[in-house]
Amino acid sequence: MQWSETNLAFERLVRPHFDRLYRLAWRLAGSKAEAEDLFQELLIKVYGKLDDLARIEQPGPWLCRVMYNLFIDEQRRFTRHRLQTVDESRLGSEGIAGIEATGPAAHDPAASQQQLEIAERLEKALAKLSVEHRIVVLLHDTEGYKLEEIQELTGTPVGTVKSRLHRARARLREILTADGTFS
Amino acid sequence: MTDQHENPQQDDAEIRALLRDLPAPEADAGFYEQALARATLQGARRRRHRRVMTGLVGAIAAGLALWLVGGALLQDAPVPEPGIPEVTMALEEPRTVNLVFSASEAMEAATLTVSLPAGIELAGFPGQSEISWETSLGEGRNLLPLKFVALTPAGGELLARLEHNNRNREFRLRVDVSRI
Repeated sequence: MQWSETNLAFERLVRPHFDRLYRLAWRLAGSKAEAEDLFQELLIKVYGKLDDLARIEQPGPWLCRVMYNLFIDEQRRFTRHRLQTVDESRLGSEGIAGIEATGPAAHDPAASQQQLEIAERLEKALAKLSVEHRIVVLLHDTEGYKLEEIQELTGTPVGTVKSRLHRARARLREILTADGTFS
Repeated sequence: MTDQHENPQQDDAEIRALLRDLPAPEADAGFYEQALARATLQGARRRRHRRVMTGLVGAIAAGLALWLVGGALLQDAPVPEPGIPEVTMALEEPRTVNLVFSASEAMEAATLTVSLPAGIELAGFPGQSEISWETSLGEGRNLLPLKFVALTPAGGELLARLEHNNRNREFRLRVDVSRI
């Protein structure tokens, strides 16, 4: 296959899943810069596995699993990529004063001020959870993944997923009660 | 803002409603196209590199013997300050500090170690006062965004140490914590 044909075949297989993969990257990594790195790393990795990808009936879940495994591998390698330097031009206005504007809440300009405040508090509360709890609660309650899908994605038994979900919600309630979101 | 309920299921429903309404992240315009272009270029390059990598490792390491790293910290106003730069953080409010490293040549497998004063944590690394990881730097300016959280009002001095090929350079940042 010619290089250009390879690229076209690759794009046809992966592009339909971009939005879902980008959201997953963000939920896993927790920030825009890290999500972009993870998304990019996934594409580079699966480009080298194009033959495998072409044989898979449902590329979406497979791509999600590869991304999850990449994220976990990077965590285990002591965040070699998660904390890797990035091009200055890719940060845009993100700086010490710009963090609030770079959070997910900034993507919904129509939301009310109170909703934005609650979303910011929720983001801060989520940042205090362990990685395992944060991922489970975001995938299930925010992204709408089923328990079985989370099991398939993470390799964690459904019982453990349920337990983490319960504890994550309880911990979120504790934090949000302490900061006054719940009175 | 929201009433507390004694019913755990009701509590769960409130938390779930907040999580469900969390805004969905969207990629910047053009990001997907850039990512695709990089993937096809780098993916093809990686395939080629795998074939010749073994023989090149020694040569690359030797070629990196000469390097120079400078550091600065970008704050609200991106103007370098004399002496130790300072940053003021609010208690328990995550803030991002961009460490800037200028490298005269690309560096693979450099080690960056961040030592934190008591009461300051790097987001995602609770309870760790020293975090070390391997990274690579490209030629020119490299930014490393780090998100810190102040858990106590004590503040202190943060130390970042970059090591490569038995050389190292240290960068210091004074962290003040406001109670507001």
